[in-house]
Amino acid sequence: MTRLTARRTSPRVLLVHTLTFRQARSVVPVALAVIAGRGLQGSPTTVVALVVGVTALSLLWAALAWWRTSYLAGDTAVVLTRGLVSRSVRTVPNDRIRGVEVEAPPVHRLFGLVRVRIDAAAGSVASEDEELVIDGVLRTEGDRLRGQLLSRRAVVATEAAGRHSAPEPVEEELHRFRNRWLLYSPLVGSYLVLPLAAVGALFRLLDEVPDRYVPRPGQLIGSPDLSDGGLVLVVAGGALVLLALGAVLGSAVVNWRFRLVLRGGSLIAERGLLTRRHTDLEVDRIRGCAVSEGLGMRLVGAARATALVTGLGDAARRGQLLPLGPREDAWQLTDLLVPSPGALQRHPAAARRRRLGRAVAPGGVVLVAGAVLTATAGWWPLLVAGAVLTVLGVPLGLARYAALGHATGPTSFAVRSGWLVREHVVLQRRAVVGWQVRQTVVQRRAGLATVQACVGAGQGGYAAVDMAAPEVAGFTRAASGSWASALAG
Amino acid sequence: MSAPTPVREPVWSLSRKAIALWVAQGAVGTLCYGLVVGAFWLLVPLDAGAAVAPARWAGAAFVLAYAVLALAVRPRLRFRVHRWEVTGEAIYTLTGWLTRTWTLVPISRVQTVDVTRGLLQQLFGLATVAVLTASSQGTVRVPHLDLGVARHVADHVARRAEKIRDEAT
Repeated sequence: MTRLTARRTSPRVLLVHTLTFRQARSVVPVALAVIAGRGLQGSPTTVVALVVGVTALSLLWAALAWWRTSYLAGDTAVVLTRGLVSRSVRTVPNDRIRGVEVEAPPVHRLFGLVRVRIDAAAGSVASEDEELVIDGVLRTEGDRLRGQLLSRRAVVATEAAGRHSAPEPVEEELHRFRNRWLLYSPLVGSYLVLPLAAVGALFRLLDEVPDRYVPRPGQLIGSPDLSDGGLVLVVAGGALVLLALGAVLGSAVVNWRFRLVLRGGSLIAERGLLTRRHTDLEVDRIRGCAVSEGLGMRLVGAARATALVTGLGDAARRGQLLPLGPREDAWQLTDLLVPSPGALQRHPAAARRRRLGRAVAPGGVVLVAGAVLTATAGWWPLLVAGAVLTVLGVPLGLARYAALGHATGPTSFAVRSGWLVREHVVLQRRAVVGWQVRQTVVQRRAGLATVQACVGAGQGGYAAVDMAAPEVAGFTRAASGSWASALAG
Repeated sequence: MSAPTPVREPVWSLSRKAIALWVAQGAVGTLCYGLVVGAFWLLVPLDAGAAVAPARWAGAAFVLAYAVLALAVRPRLRFRVHRWEVTGEAIYTLTGWLTRTWTLVPISRVQTVDVTRGLLQQLFGLATVAVLTASSQGTVRVPHLDLGVARHVADHVARRAEKIRDEAT
């Protein structure tokens, strides 16, 4: 049916790569150094000649690379051949394809092109090498590739299940990102980091530019009077507002028009303002879900939901089901994918004592050091700081204890912990590939133990911290198969 | 260790030759520290500073204490705290003295079984068995088994894993 001839990517990718100087990018630092060294004394013609030269070089490079690159999506495998001088051939068998991602960066979109990423991650250890990228095919060709690769996978699956006719896949939209959820972003740590990172990058860039082209702030606005408290307040307030705006903007760029669709046996997530991405998750490979709520998110009832998928590279980003939204929506999605094991069981009072002890201890150390300093040198600020830290440790310990919990149900189980980011993980029973029970000296005396479920997805392990020691064997037995009864006395 | 353990202890202990290996490791360590301290005694003259004499004796005391710990105490302690077991459905280990860690991995989820032999292990006829799963956290390692036992265990686990493997990872 399919013609088994190798195809080239679209020639339009030449324009994309020339425009973005993909191949010539490595020359730019050298050029900058040359320009900086010679101080741009040349006439405008030299500059024009330079630009034209670099562009021509880039075009030539891109053309050669395009000419030497071809891909073949056959019945059994995808083969990508490339390399100017030293040829590389990468083959991914179809039954090893874990997901296909179609992304459209801004310049690609301008020319109607997409980039197809074929993910063939083997284990929980993700690496760049387990991905095959076909860069620069037409949108229709990209969709055709995705459809072909995924349907072939589905055919393999249905044949394995003994069925002969696959039903027409029905599309069901699970949810759609609402723009007002963007207002949650300033309360989420990872989005707050975005504007800070942008500022950092800007400063690095400024560092590269020779000093005489950088305007000194003092020359522009004169030296401000820093003793004026009001001014400091205004500046701080302005910075906060800018930070919040940056977080909303960054979140909008990443999450714009996020939608999650269930089609056939796959969950398809679409997202992005500048770069559109389609990510495919096989429902069959989902082993659990994590609902995480940061400190700020808990104040406004926001949460994020992530699917824990086996053999998925870059799982933290690709597994996202709800990047940001109301807690109820996150739980609705989670319950749909993994049946809820019921309400969480609290951990024993000894666990609260341990959390309190651990939260108060650093403050206590500072307090003792402060007391010694006060007695010997009469220097009291450390004593005050220690007292404040110790007192603050109490609510922290209590909050950390309140986050602890575990539950077991007929087909799933759940654990919850964390204060800065509280993570509630619901896992299927079949997800467990091992148990690890740890007990420190302190835990042994308190009759507690930490039980970690080893899972071939997500972070690799999720722990029920400070569970009552006598309950451990029962919990592991209820949360996995009969093999776990080897733990019981 | 009077309080009841949260889960039961695996029943088998390592090869007794492991004690000899750990003693040998301790001897090598003691020798290294001894050489360093000996060099200090020989090469740094007494009149180089006021701190030299106490430093000499502190060094000697340290080497002596380390020798007692590494040759007499630690090997036996390690032998006591390492336990393992292969049941019909799972591999089970216990390690650690202050912080104890029990690890249980079902044979049906085993992906690879490795047998490795370090230089010292080869001298003593010992081997380490490592059982890997899809989870980076779910790895079971049984150190210092008799080579024959290690090979037998690896073979048994690999064979059985093939028979009862389930698709889920």
